[in-house]
Amino acid sequence: MAKSAGHTVVSFLGVSLDRGAGRERWEHWRPNVSICQHEDLLIKRMILLCERRYSKLYDQIAADIATVSPETVVERRDVALRDPWDFEEVFDKLFQLSRDLAFDPEDEDLLVHMTTGTHVAQICLFLLTETRHFPARLLQTGPPPGNQDIVGTWQIIDLDLSRFDRLAQRFAQEHQQGESLLKSGIATRNAAFNELITQMERVAPASTAPILLMGPTGAGKSHLARRIYDLKKQRHQLVGPFIEVNCATIRGDSAHSTLFGHKRGAFTGALQDRAGLLRAANGGLLFLDEIGELGADEQAMLLRALEEKRFLPLGSDKEVESDFQLIAGTNRDLGGAVARGTFREDLLARINLWTFRLPGLRDRIEDLEPNLDYELERYSAKVGRRVHFSAEARRRYLDFATSSGALWRGNFRDLNGSVTRLCTLAASGRITEEEVRGEIVRLEADWLRDGHGAPEHVAMVDDDLLLLEVLSEEVVAGIDRFDRVQLAEVVRCCRRHRSLSAAGRELFAASRAKRATTNDADRLRKYLARFGLDYEGVAASR
Amino acid sequence: MLFLDGSMGEGGGQVLRTALGLSLVTGTAFSIEKIRAGREKPGLKRQHLTAVLAAAEVGDAAVEGAAIGSQRLTFKPKGLRAGDYRFAIGSAGSTTLVLQTVLPALLSANGPSTVELVGGTHNPLAPPFDFLQHAFAPVLHRMGAGLGLEIHKHGFYPAGGGQWRATITPAAWQPIELLTRLGEPQLRARIVSAKIPSHVAQREASMLRARLKLRADEITIDEVASPGPGNAVMLRLGFGEVTELVSGLGDRGIRAEDVAGNVANEAEELLTANVPVGEHLADQLLIPMALARGGAFRTMTPSLHTRTNAQVIEQFLPVQFAMREDAGAWRIEVQSR
Repeated sequence: MAKSAGHTVVSFLGVSLDRGAGRERWEHWRPNVSICQHEDLLIKRMILLCERRYSKLYDQIAADIATVSPETVVERRDVALRDPWDFEEVFDKLFQLSRDLAFDPEDEDLLVHMTTGTHVAQICLFLLTETRHFPARLLQTGPPPGNQDIVGTWQIIDLDLSRFDRLAQRFAQEHQQGESLLKSGIATRNAAFNELITQMERVAPASTAPILLMGPTGAGKSHLARRIYDLKKQRHQLVGPFIEVNCATIRGDSAHSTLFGHKRGAFTGALQDRAGLLRAANGGLLFLDEIGELGADEQAMLLRALEEKRFLPLGSDKEVESDFQLIAGTNRDLGGAVARGTFREDLLARINLWTFRLPGLRDRIEDLEPNLDYELERYSAKVGRRVHFSAEARRRYLDFATSSGALWRGNFRDLNGSVTRLCTLAASGRITEEEVRGEIVRLEADWLRDGHGAPEHVAMVDDDLLLLEVLSEEVVAGIDRFDRVQLAEVVRCCRRHRSLSAAGRELFAASRAKRATTNDADRLRKYLARFGLDYEGVAASR
Repeated sequence: MLFLDGSMGEGGGQVLRTALGLSLVTGTAFSIEKIRAGREKPGLKRQHLTAVLAAAEVGDAAVEGAAIGSQRLTFKPKGLRAGDYRFAIGSAGSTTLVLQTVLPALLSANGPSTVELVGGTHNPLAPPFDFLQHAFAPVLHRMGAGLGLEIHKHGFYPAGGGQWRATITPAAWQPIELLTRLGEPQLRARIVSAKIPSHVAQREASMLRARLKLRADEITIDEVASPGPGNAVMLRLGFGEVTELVSGLGDRGIRAEDVAGNVANEAEELLTANVPVGEHLADQLLIPMALARGGAFRTMTPSLHTRTNAQVIEQFLPVQFAMREDAGAWRIEVQSR
């Protein structure tokens, strides 16, 4: 009988909605008073969450509830919020409150009122109710339709009811889409890898903290970093670009300048200001592969950039700001590097909050077949021609590829190379047994030789940084890599020369030698104009 | 154990209140089903629950199904107790209806009682306090029962919070007959206001003067103490032995002229009918007359509300109501079975 004798409500005092002075307060809807005025809703206990500075308002609301509903016992709970819009703080306080109040759902029919409080508070109440920290149903109240009355409407929402399955289904669907994106649409079969992707799909959109991807070379760290970027961009969590750099390729003197930029004249050869990769990644995602290769000075500077979101370009006395999501990749045991004194312990602590270990291809060999199909698709799409295995060839290739003799030292990078070779050789668009036999010999020979060189990223990154000096990020992102290389070279040339004509002469020297007359300056002007650039602008921004 | 169908007749709270009152008087347990069946939100509402709990207190009753939305209730009184009671009710419920529920029992108890009531005193769809004071209590007195009333604070919708007190002396019932008017009807108006602009009452008074030819000294305007804003127009119609009271409530969005105009309309209808007992008093007289085991009155066409009430009373008490048309009016008579 205790339970049927009315509800217990947890509700925020509505610092604006519940307000009202004098008799006028009886002429408009005040949600917390109104809850207690409904003829078909009996509130036995009303717990009002209140900040101390609103004591006066609380007193009035409590008195008015006592008048309109003598059946209701009003209790005050002080919730001291420094910032009622701070998600973490509000969640924390409400979580604590749910512990302190220790409701027993057997004794009390609890309702959590969602209509008052900041939106942040409403979200936190929802979450705590959904997770049963408040063993409650949600109470939603609204103003009277057409302003006829002052009591308004109420509705109880039970999150356990099946009609919310559809809502839950939509969330599940979105998670599935996110997971599929992270897996590039590949129907992977390895349970451990799928679990890793599921976790990553939850972590990546929810966190801006650095992510550490561990795994052997070719395991797909770079590919996955790109996918995380795509996922966050799709959910509108990033606006900036994806910047990728392999730290192994920027060791030595240029490393600091490549990452953090420099002032013109900072060192011999520093002819212009350079923004650096961290600055370029502002608002976007920076993937630092092989982070274990980073020098001690750069490690210190990177740590500062992560903690303060600001750092000092070489030769500059002014700090610059950049806010980016960091993903670090490593194929080394960074714990060991810390023990040897080659990697900073505090930096490791900062970047391994979320660590994902990517298995090599051999450790998820059941995923080889779907990845093979993916690579075939990718090649077909790239060259615009369908390539496929004959049935026999496919069986033979898979037999070898999944056998213990296939070492896959370079992991997915090896598979990608292998498929590219097979497709290129399959002139008719059909990969035969013969080509597969040859490919097997080649792969085995490669693995015997052992050791792989890493691809170079530096030139590519330098081109992009140069272009960012004259064009916006969006424009650069819209230019094909093919054209970026050319445009970067043209920009460099313009900056070397004093005039459009002089630059034109160098750029079109070969044509010039063949023909008697040619208008080099006009050709160059037209080329620059295609990108919305002109010589003056390009040269001036040096 | 009596079994009642809550959907009979009008199917509102009246069946429940009458059943509770007479169950206490007779000690008869009852079970009622289909309470407010077919309504948008069926079952007990808060004001009904308050009535059930008040009756349970007075009769020391065991109750099952006393919850909001419950469509089934079982009520078993153990013993009627005179005493000092206090019932507080939310703004949407009327305190006069709560008193109406327990009054038959306390009038039949073995000693005097007091009931302190907190809540609405002038609510829509319920007799206002002034009705009890000017129309109902005097008739009870003539029937041998004592009902003393004093009001401290008025309570209007939506704030509520009125306070008043009823002193009840058990009855030595005497049947009465109210069949004709004596002399010219005496009209007296009382307009009460709280926390609203004074022109509202002035305009209502003007309307009553214009429509009913009332003199200024026949209208009283009172500013009353109340937790929230409110306004009521009450008109007493004295027919010699008996007084009826018609009333209207001010509300947001309703013009003062319309509030007073509706009161005037109802008064004119009653004046034309040439009967001593109006619709409101007719409804309230059924239980006391049944308890007195006799009596008769002439009134207007009985409402469905009144007919349903009579049916419920007949199930608890050994009486029978006769309602028949009589020279352009209706004669309602109660007899012992």
